[in-house]
Amino acid sequence: MRDQDKGDLRPRSRRRGQGELEAQVLAVLRRACGPVTAAWVQERLEGPLAYTTVMTILARLQAKGAVTRQRAGRSFVWRAESDEAGLAALRMRRVLDGQDDREAVLASFVTGLTADDERLLRGLLIETARD
Amino acid sequence: MGVFVFLPLVLPLTAWPIARVAEQYLHPRRSTRLLSLIGGVLAVSSTLCLALLVVVGTAQLPGNPLPDGWSDPEVREAVPCDEVAGKAAIGALVPVAVSCTGTVWRHHRARRRAQDAIAGLPDALVTTLPDDKAYAYALPAASGKPGRIVVSTAMLACLSGSEQRAMIAHEQAHLAGRHHRYLLAAQLAARANPLLRPLQRAVAYCAERWADEEAAREVGDRTVTARAVGKAALVSRGTPAATLAGFAAPGPVPRRVAALLGPVPPAQYWPPAWTAPGLAAWIAAAGTAASAVSSANAAVALFLILQAATPL
Repeated sequence: MRDQDKGDLRPRSRRRGQGELEAQVLAVLRRACGPVTAAWVQERLEGPLAYTTVMTILARLQAKGAVTRQRAGRSFVWRAESDEAGLAALRMRRVLDGQDDREAVLASFVTGLTADDERLLRGLLIETARD
Repeated sequence: MGVFVFLPLVLPLTAWPIARVAEQYLHPRRSTRLLSLIGGVLAVSSTLCLALLVVVGTAQLPGNPLPDGWSDPEVREAVPCDEVAGKAAIGALVPVAVSCTGTVWRHHRARRRAQDAIAGLPDALVTTLPDDKAYAYALPAASGKPGRIVVSTAMLACLSGSEQRAMIAHEQAHLAGRHHRYLLAAQLAARANPLLRPLQRAVAYCAERWADEEAAREVGDRTVTARAVGKAALVSRGTPAATLAGFAAPGPVPRRVAALLGPVPPAQYWPPAWTAPGLAAWIAAAGTAASAVSSANAAVALFLILQAATPL
């Protein structure tokens, strides 16, 4: 499992915060006029957050492709690459791709089709168009 | 208890006919509820009997922590072929327990992760995500968050305005009817006894049909709803169906579309007992009742035998 689940006294509330924290950091980055440092982000976040936490979140966002970084002197500066909805889409795609039994868990609108089903379905749809 | 302790293990077979015909003859709301109830009772009875056999079987194992009296000949006589049955039951109950626990755990993890994925976005019933993969999901409430509908832009792009409304209404029906509970119950039942798998597939299909019917009622147009289901299936066909192609009967989506193009199913209809669907319903009802009675009878019988065998 994810390493942040271990050794955490309140895993439930911590996990719930994970997505929101990522969204907050991304929102701050999107307000910046250009690439900014992690310290700049830390100052503008609501509530006290450790510098290492901000770095961890930035690294996680980078792994998802939502932010990029470049070297500036001795440290890195960060830039937002997608908006909050885009980040949520990336995360949702992970959930959907990672679950074997997601059909049973998240009631989805449609399930897969076989080649025969597809032919049958196209026939039915042509019928509806004729009406 | 004799041979009755084995009956609930095979009585799920009596639910096969109703699982096959319910979707054609009953309103999907009614068949979802009926099949879930039948599946739940049959699964609980079957697991209870498995547990009773495990108790008898475990008592014979050397070094077991159960009272010595429980391996007396009187106890062993209660179960036919006690040695084989007892050991086989241990081998069966362990995977059942593991897979049921795993199912519940995965269910909650997926719900939590999905809710986490859209955390930070404004709270609205419908959340649109920019994604070139077409999907639409109903996320049940989890970790204090209300139920939400997640739709990708690719899914919205392939549907017209009224078709989008039908799709949203379908997902809303899933949330309002708490369909995930029926799906989870049926899934657990199928894990508890593999003979209940046809029932699980039927519940999953009927829950979708239920939401389709609600959506058709909401938008007031069955053809539009049918077209929404069909188009959505064609754009999201990247996920292959888990059936044997060529060998399979028409999959769930074409059947759903065909059902929507047909007339509204009567909500209160119950097939007369002398017709095939009526007979199937009665067979399932009799099998379920027999299963519940047999398992209760076996549980009480074993309890009394063990009570007599336990030195006070």
